[in-house]
Amino acid sequence: MSEYIKLESDKISEGVKTIMDLGGHGLLRCVQCGACSAVCPGVKAGFPVLCRMLIKKILDGQLEEIIEDSSSWGCQACNRCTEVCPQGVRPQEVVFAFRRYQANDLAFSTSAITSQMNLHAYGHAVFTDARELRAKVGLPPEAPTSAYNEKAQKEIQTLLDNSPMGELGIF
Amino acid sequence: MQKYGMYLGCNIPFKAPDIEQSFRKVFPALGVELEDLQGASCCPAWGTAPSFDMDTWCAISSRNIVLAEEKELDLMTGCNSCFGVLSEAKHFIEDNPERKKRVNEKLQAIERRFEGSAGVYHVSHVLHEKVGTDRIRQGLTYSLEGLKAAIQPGCHVLWPSDVYQVKEKNPFFPTILKELTQALGAEVPHYSRLEYCCGMGGMRTTDVEKSLGLFTDKILSIKEEIDPDFIVTTCSSCFLQFDMSQPILKERGVIDFTIPVFYYTQVLALALGFDPSHVAAISQTPRDAVIAEIQSEKRKIQK
Repeated sequence: MSEYIKLESDKISEGVKTIMDLGGHGLLRCVQCGACSAVCPGVKAGFPVLCRMLIKKILDGQLEEIIEDSSSWGCQACNRCTEVCPQGVRPQEVVFAFRRYQANDLAFSTSAITSQMNLHAYGHAVFTDARELRAKVGLPPEAPTSAYNEKAQKEIQTLLDNSPMGELGIF
Repeated sequence: MQKYGMYLGCNIPFKAPDIEQSFRKVFPALGVELEDLQGASCCPAWGTAPSFDMDTWCAISSRNIVLAEEKELDLMTGCNSCFGVLSEAKHFIEDNPERKKRVNEKLQAIERRFEGSAGVYHVSHVLHEKVGTDRIRQGLTYSLEGLKAAIQPGCHVLWPSDVYQVKEKNPFFPTILKELTQALGAEVPHYSRLEYCCGMGGMRTTDVEKSLGLFTDKILSIKEEIDPDFIVTTCSSCFLQFDMSQPILKERGVIDFTIPVFYYTQVLALALGFDPSHVAAISQTPRDAVIAEIQSEKRKIQK
């Protein structure tokens, strides 16, 4: 026997509003043509809930059911989908709005925590002590970025601490 | 002399500083002065603030743009992801007066203000649009004639074309990097997966096997269709993926070859005669043989 999805209009309206408020403004323009999925490297690589399928599940009111799915974190943000979408949905913006929905419930991989902590501490998501490597290629050992600039680090920390990210307890 | 605010991002200063050194060598040699944006931070990368909160993303991005604004300069980035993140953040701020107001309220806490006067450019744009291929040709010490290159422009300089300051005529058939590489004398044949994703970025962090699967398709396409002497990219993330992943695939027996990889300004620096131990010194995929070939006596251009 096939499995049917029970559509509930309140649940759909709430899910759509949540994603639109988080930046997926074009969601309701989607006609499920699949042009986005056809060019998506994430779909090609095998992530099951990206682009057209993600939008379908949101439009079906299944937001809570897919909150733990990691597909959106496989999105490369390449924006091929945005370029080809005939309806102006800008699917990548929907994918990232969904990520924000997940992230605000801490539904993301623990591997993503290091980059947030690095951003807060050094102002860089990717940071390693490269002083030796830099000197080897004839550069000043300390890069002229926030990594070695206390004032800059304080500015980034102020921006992060006074944001919804600061309330999640990651830093 | 033209002048740009050099935005380094994260990959280049900490993972591949020889790319940074190549910027510092080639741009002045071609008449472009670089000024460091002291205290610039992460763009912020897609997996950080953009995945949590749009206003926080826009505030951190705009702080980086403001560093260029305060010097009355345009900003130039060497990383495609940084170019995409900063360009989109600028678009989201300028497209929405309410967001601009909220972002400036956040920036007020660190005594800065975003106006939007600084343009966001990528290294490849400055070389192609501002320096020009003729000037590059004229400055060469070594010719790459007879060498074959595969190009990897990378996603984030191509799409979404409607928010970018400089764009390809057709982002699905990009020509900027092709023309820049041809200016060195190299042959640049087309291959079918030219604008395909390399699998770096969020995909590699989330599922490394899926990422390597996508990369395998790409590298096999390059090898089987055009068998190049080297690969050249203008994306630091693509560079790291091509450089790190080939040895893994070779060890696993998925491929029985490796192809040397360069960031474009590295191969340009070599052709301009700069010291490889400064401008092309760090790689996991071997490239010494092709570096020696590029700077061989027989390739010296008689002036």
